[in-house]
Amino acid sequence: MLVELTVNGESRSANVPPETTLLKMLREYLGLTGAKLGCDVGDCGTCTVIVDGVSVNSCLMLAGRADGCDVTTIEGLATADELHPLQQKFEEHGALQCGFCGPGMLISAKNLLDTNPEPSVFEVRDALAGNLCRCTGYTKIIEAVIEAGEMMNQEQATV
Amino acid sequence: MRPMNYIVPESAEAAVAILAERGENACPLAGGTDLVVDLKHAPGNINALVDVSGLEEFRGIDETDEGLRIGSMVTYGEIMEHPVCIEKTPEVVAASHTVGAVQTRNLGTIGGNLVTCVPSADSAPALMVLDAEVTLIGTNGWRRMPIEDFFVGPRKTILEPCELLAEIWIPGHTLGKPSSFYKFGLRKGQALALVNAAAALELDGDRIVEPRIALGAVAPTPIRAVKAEALLDGQVVNAKLLDEAAKISVTESKPIDDFRASRNYRRQLIRTLTRRVLERSVEIARERQEKDKLH
Repeated sequence: MLVELTVNGESRSANVPPETTLLKMLREYLGLTGAKLGCDVGDCGTCTVIVDGVSVNSCLMLAGRADGCDVTTIEGLATADELHPLQQKFEEHGALQCGFCGPGMLISAKNLLDTNPEPSVFEVRDALAGNLCRCTGYTKIIEAVIEAGEMMNQEQATV
Repeated sequence: MRPMNYIVPESAEAAVAILAERGENACPLAGGTDLVVDLKHAPGNINALVDVSGLEEFRGIDETDEGLRIGSMVTYGEIMEHPVCIEKTPEVVAASHTVGAVQTRNLGTIGGNLVTCVPSADSAPALMVLDAEVTLIGTNGWRRMPIEDFFVGPRKTILEPCELLAEIWIPGHTLGKPSSFYKFGLRKGQALALVNAAAALELDGDRIVEPRIALGAVAPTPIRAVKAEALLDGQVVNAKLLDEAAKISVTESKPIDDFRASRNYRRQLIRTLTRRVLERSVEIARERQEKDKLH
């Protein structure tokens, strides 16, 4: 079946078998390998992408369901010149170790900050509850998200 | 995943007709948070998915003269954001918040959760204490029933083959009724309930009116603790009475022993959680009385 998406602002389409998940379409048909295949059952969150403004496990969503939708993946965060504030703060804080959870962590964090620019620690924990990190821990990730929110608010204030 | 046909029906009636025509090889698809996982690992004989998640008849949250209608294909994320749910059914919102995590709540639907019919379904107790009803559509048309009657056993509902859960109705007289929900799991996120409990009641002066207690993960289906309710009905509220009701609710439960918790531990949880949701409901009812006095 033909599935047409807007991915990170660009129109993309592919002919995929109907049982294809959105994750598989992104990775194997559109060459966007940022979102990762982790547990494949919706527990780990490393496949997280934003579909029409809400974050979802792309391993559990059939591509056909996303037809006509607006999709944001980790590839949509940085520009050629500059990392997204979240990516800058993750780097500064050493928030990632192996990095496998990173694409999902960053997308979940972006989805939070899009609707709640000044989250509390509790709100960050709640927003990231569906993203598992098995390397290091969550403290630096939480600090990075809160600082990225502050940085984005300042940027907005100066514009 | 094995090759599948993916069908998007144009209406609820069309979905029922397609399911009837294709027989047991076709399966309705809602949010997919359970079904897609099953299809990857144990697809059985399913070779066609009928995606009912976007059907107009199963979507939307509306307040009407009859009460609050929640379409079965409304996601938990949508319930948590909806102003009417937040104001009039805060415990349904609280229960929704305890389901899975953000991403699964944005896909998973309240109807899908009820149809999956696991004893620990978090929305069930919160809906049961508000006397919720469900509507179903099948080859013989529509029918409506109390939500308790919908649950038959573990992973077994009253749905006939080709029948679909269409709506959840919370009657007008229970909207805003003082209620409380509490879930106890091994973690806050991504964990099934060891026990979940909900209560709702009104106070007439110091007397308890229309008490409701519902429990999840304590029996083959979510249950009402009707004997405990009967003890409370019409009685003057006091701490001892609430604890007595909590004790009785333990006797109405049949918790299992498994790797998550022992039967005995679950029994203690049932008593503690039931007492807490009753106490909290009374507290809310009292706050309401104070407020009414001021006006």
